[in-house]
Amino acid sequence: MNPLIFTTILMTVLLGTMIVMMSSHWLMIWIGFEMNLLAIIPILMKKYNPRTMEASTKYFLTQATASMLLMMAIIINLMHSGQWTITKVFNPTASIIMTSALAMKLGLTPFHFWVPEVTQGISLTSGLILLTWQKLAPMSILYQISPSINLNILLTMAVLSILVGGWGGLNQTQLRKIMAYSSIAHMGWMTAVLVYNPTLTMLNMLIYIMMTLTMFMLFIHSSSTTTLSLSHTWNKTPLITTLILITLLSMGGLPPLSGFMPKWMIIQELTKNSSIILPTLMAIMALLNLYFYMRLTYSTSLTMFPSTNNMKMKWQFETKRITLLPPLIVMSSLLLPLTPMLSILD
Amino acid sequence: MMTYIVFILSVIFVVSFVGFSSKPSPIYGGLVLIVSGGVGCGIIMNFGGSFLGLMVFLIYLGGMLVVFGYTTAMATEQYPEVWVSNTTVMGVFLLGLLMEVMLVLYVLKSEEVGVVFKFSGVGDWAIYDIGDSGVFSEEIMGVAALYSYGAWVVIVTGWSLFVGVLVILEVTRGD
Repeated sequence: MNPLIFTTILMTVLLGTMIVMMSSHWLMIWIGFEMNLLAIIPILMKKYNPRTMEASTKYFLTQATASMLLMMAIIINLMHSGQWTITKVFNPTASIIMTSALAMKLGLTPFHFWVPEVTQGISLTSGLILLTWQKLAPMSILYQISPSINLNILLTMAVLSILVGGWGGLNQTQLRKIMAYSSIAHMGWMTAVLVYNPTLTMLNMLIYIMMTLTMFMLFIHSSSTTTLSLSHTWNKTPLITTLILITLLSMGGLPPLSGFMPKWMIIQELTKNSSIILPTLMAIMALLNLYFYMRLTYSTSLTMFPSTNNMKMKWQFETKRITLLPPLIVMSSLLLPLTPMLSILD
Repeated sequence: MMTYIVFILSVIFVVSFVGFSSKPSPIYGGLVLIVSGGVGCGIIMNFGGSFLGLMVFLIYLGGMLVVFGYTTAMATEQYPEVWVSNTTVMGVFLLGLLMEVMLVLYVLKSEEVGVVFKFSGVGDWAIYDIGDSGVFSEEIMGVAALYSYGAWVVIVTGWSLFVGVLVILEVTRGD
């Protein structure tokens, strides 16, 4: 793509999300979502093969439907409250429709079907933008309307997302689909605590973005999109292999690593609000996630499967320069001791 | 009849939307889009928005739909689909029509329609009370406000349209 056009379109994606996050008028938020959607389509279609076109079309259709539902909720809200400012949405119907629209944008169950297919059809870098940057805008709106969200609907969607994210990722060998299912599960964790303590949603979003960025950059560095090709990284860069182990375990939420922090805080917040069965279920279903991360680490860092000698080599492309990889790796694994600092967020 | 003109126009609006949502060939979709554009203009005009209605005709129908019609005419196939040619298309069209007819009967018979939110019968759609302030027209004031207080909206929408063109060119360019 022409570099000037590519820069313009990338800046428009950023501008769209910024408009969504900064606006106080519902119509501007909708315009921001549409600008974001329009500008990310050529980024998803960077390589011109039928798979990327199909993936971009699927993404466009689902997100456009979600924008339409959002507009309908905005107009119902206008009809009942007479004003366009972002406050809590007073009308229950508008609130439910808006929650469903934002859930479609995030990829929560039962609207999660587009996430694995779209993520699989596009290149790794585009998948990275899709799974991290595109989650910021809907989550910011959910944060702003959080006092008025219907708890039953949101918690149902969250728990089902954790289940689907864990269960659906079990049979996958393609790395992008694994990351997509991991995204669905993490979105479920984030929205589960939204009504109780929205700050923890933002904390989880921050740590999730760091870990997903790290994982994708490790995949880009080793140019691998399947488990099989990832299992050959020990031959190319053994250090990356170790870091894949650490980051994957952090994504699974294991204690000495920073991925444990949001899960711990969320479970603590939920039990403070006297719901015990729910966090227990959520923690048990997070084990499914951990299982397929462990399977990735098993085949990548922990064992070398018997194979013939010429199968062990990977194509040696010129090393891609990955920005910020070391800080990201450090941040996505070693942040847990900083947990007492969370009190500054109040 | 004039008190119910908005209601009638809205029904025609919905029927033409059903007409192109049931996906005949784009040429026929453009045809009912013309009808729905004209009817939509009528609805806006009945609420006092003569300027906006003329905008619909000029820009939407006279600009965008003409370009759409020409490009579709270039890309059309030998036997385009009509509403009655394909069973699926006809079925969807009839289903949409049926639902619209049932909704209209429901609205006309009962005082209130409480499906998603409450309509108070045909009252909101009748023209005798539009709540105007009487001194100045709200709609022209709105257009003026767009270019003064709403400068940011103009910038954002202008940029969106520009990026839309860039995106379309990028997508259709191919390798």
